[in-house]
Amino acid sequence: MLSRVAENLYWMTRYLERAENTARLINGTSQVVLDLPRGASFHWDTLISVVGLDRQFHELYKDADEDSVMRFLILDERNPSSIVSCIRHARENTRTFREVLPAESWERINALHLFLQRHAPRTTHGRLPRYEVLNEVIERRQSIIGLLMGSMSLDIAYQFIKLGRNIERADMSTRIVDVNSAVLLPREGSTEAEVERLWMGTLSALSAYQMYRRHVSVHVRGRQVLEFVLKDPLFPRTVHHSLNEMESCLIALPNHEKPLLAVRDARERLLRIHFDTIKLGDLHQSLDGVEADLGAIHEAVSKQYFHLYQDTPSQLQAAEQE
Amino acid sequence: MEHLKSLPLSQNAYLCNTAYDELIEPGGQPRPAAKPLFDYLARLRPDDLEARREAANAAIMTMGITFTVYSDGANIDRAWPFDIIPRVMSRTEWMRIDIGLKQRLVALNLFINDLYNEQRIVKDKVFPLEVLAGSRNFRPQCRGITPRFGVWAHICGTDLVRDRDGTVYVLEDNLRVPSGVSYMLENRHVMKRLFPEVFNTCSILPVDDYPARLFDTLAALSPRDWERPVVAVLTPGIFNSAYFEHSYLAQQMGAYLVEGSDLVVGEDDCVYLKTVSGLTRVDVIYRRIDDDFLDPEAFRPDSALGVPGLMRAWRAGKVGIANAPGAGVADDKVVYTFVPRIIKYYLDEDPIIPNVPSYLCMEDDQRDYVLANLDKLVVKPANESGGYGMLMGPRASSEERGKFAELIRANPRNYMAQPTLDISTAPTLVGHELAPRHLDLRPFVLQSKIQYATTGGLTRVAMVEGSLVVNSSQGGGSKDTWIVDPGEA
Repeated sequence: MLSRVAENLYWMTRYLERAENTARLINGTSQVVLDLPRGASFHWDTLISVVGLDRQFHELYKDADEDSVMRFLILDERNPSSIVSCIRHARENTRTFREVLPAESWERINALHLFLQRHAPRTTHGRLPRYEVLNEVIERRQSIIGLLMGSMSLDIAYQFIKLGRNIERADMSTRIVDVNSAVLLPREGSTEAEVERLWMGTLSALSAYQMYRRHVSVHVRGRQVLEFVLKDPLFPRTVHHSLNEMESCLIALPNHEKPLLAVRDARERLLRIHFDTIKLGDLHQSLDGVEADLGAIHEAVSKQYFHLYQDTPSQLQAAEQE
Repeated sequence: MEHLKSLPLSQNAYLCNTAYDELIEPGGQPRPAAKPLFDYLARLRPDDLEARREAANAAIMTMGITFTVYSDGANIDRAWPFDIIPRVMSRTEWMRIDIGLKQRLVALNLFINDLYNEQRIVKDKVFPLEVLAGSRNFRPQCRGITPRFGVWAHICGTDLVRDRDGTVYVLEDNLRVPSGVSYMLENRHVMKRLFPEVFNTCSILPVDDYPARLFDTLAALSPRDWERPVVAVLTPGIFNSAYFEHSYLAQQMGAYLVEGSDLVVGEDDCVYLKTVSGLTRVDVIYRRIDDDFLDPEAFRPDSALGVPGLMRAWRAGKVGIANAPGAGVADDKVVYTFVPRIIKYYLDEDPIIPNVPSYLCMEDDQRDYVLANLDKLVVKPANESGGYGMLMGPRASSEERGKFAELIRANPRNYMAQPTLDISTAPTLVGHELAPRHLDLRPFVLQSKIQYATTGGLTRVAMVEGSLVVNSSQGGGSKDTWIVDPGEA
């Protein structure tokens, strides 16, 4: 597998995953908002903080009302992480490696892009059309994953796809709990029911509500949510599970020593944190640590697989003999 | 036109059509090879054709069959314009063309190899030294080399047109980086998707073995003798107009699709791919970038698309390159006029497919004729492709003709002229009607260890009424091309 192609595959998947995660985040949050007491206002800019684009948002928009936040997250092509931009990037990336994917996957990614070009504007026509369009984005993305799982050899290309998906997923899950706990944990005990609702929103945004209730508790408590979303080994969107998946990808890839070490270090540090008892003051720092570890994994993967030969030919010969 | 009554055939347009029509005889009857097609079309409901056209366009969008137009700015690709009425040719006629194409490529390869080695044809005064001396595509870097099998042009796209009397002529030979074969394959794919029934009505010869034949042609050039050589398609990248094709062919052959920066030439003169597991040796490169950009060490030093040291690797026999660097010397409109003599010289045969009668501006009497008859001729520069830099005499203003006359006088070696042919038409869905539109045919011919020609080729059609320009970069469309066996219909 060419280094350039591996890198494009990895980013194509990250963009697709990011688009799906953003769609889930918006749909999950929108559901919960409906259950808030009348008169309670929801801070839609929380979603901007989740994706970490506060500065970019405020440069482009005056008010962080629902409409602006939605435009920014879904439609705005000036935001490289908006759903429409992500799908466009994914499609452009896919062009550069159509030969390594099953032919049909290009058609589906292209069709998703065409669908959004046509229907994305409907997301500004109210919550119902927004829900429908985003739900279709999720469905179509899932069908692409299904297609790859069902019709692609578990070759190197597949491993880079899986790697990109899991690193993006772990990143998004960490961000979601980080922002929500900053907002919600200090309020715990005051307005129990409302806060519980908002934590449910966090779980819904990760499509984790049902599995949390089944495997953890019927009550939604902040610290238990953290413990679940970060450390549960079995739910597919937790950080722990994503790290395990990355580990299995790397084991299947050649020359994996350095990136594999980064994954194992990250997991070891993560499992040492006890979120159910952690002091509020230490939490943010711990989560920053998790995000930094994910960043280090990305760096290690890039260095090992994507940019190893950005040298002159003579240096390259030397590198080869090492 | 009894038989065609139920079809939305534009009667007026057909009454005025002076060109040979590929599907309809002058009396209004379908040609024998096209009869099963018309029988099928006649059974469709009136709005079926338009519905199928819509479906074809939708399929083309979804399948992402695109080509790039340079002037479109941000919009890097456009859907491939496709007409759903196929162009049909009988197998008997095709067999003769097939042999003629192969004859032509054998001779051209002998010619190229001779030019880079002994130059017998020049010494024997069959091919003038001054034409060779003036050739922009002759690469002195290639002197003294004989590539494997003596073949330089492994992939050739030959443009054919049919004149009013039904004669098929070769219009030009594309020996550098001919493109279009992926559209030929995708056109068939779209037709099968949309008109599955019609494929039962007559025996339409398949076209889809091309990628396997191309792979075999390339694999035969491998310096290492093993079963599955590493083949790479070298593309200039995503902004090239034929990127879709590069990616498509790589996909179909199971080859790597690489850009220059993915390759490196080692101190052992071997070419390597930069992969996630280290360096992997490449055996054969199907390059889709021009000689000029291939290797900054040997050609243009400012090329960022190429691979430094690639020529060195090729000369050392460590990598096969198709088409070989320098093969373009025979892809020149002036050299074209010599092809009948080239065939005679090397093969002692007469050309099976004739050239369009041509006038060489470098010869005084022919130039005088050209200058005196610019309003009747098409003037072509020696080294351009894609229809650029041509003068369509009958359509040009006198000012344009005057400008061209000066260009010709200043550099006669660079120009040749041909009478404007009344090139053939085929019914094409325009609005609600089938109207005649002019078309050509580009078959693709392969040669390394063995020869192969596509069954039919890419039919390009000028979608604008009366227009003769079929290039997709200038608004042309395309049709599926059927070679049918009427005997089995």
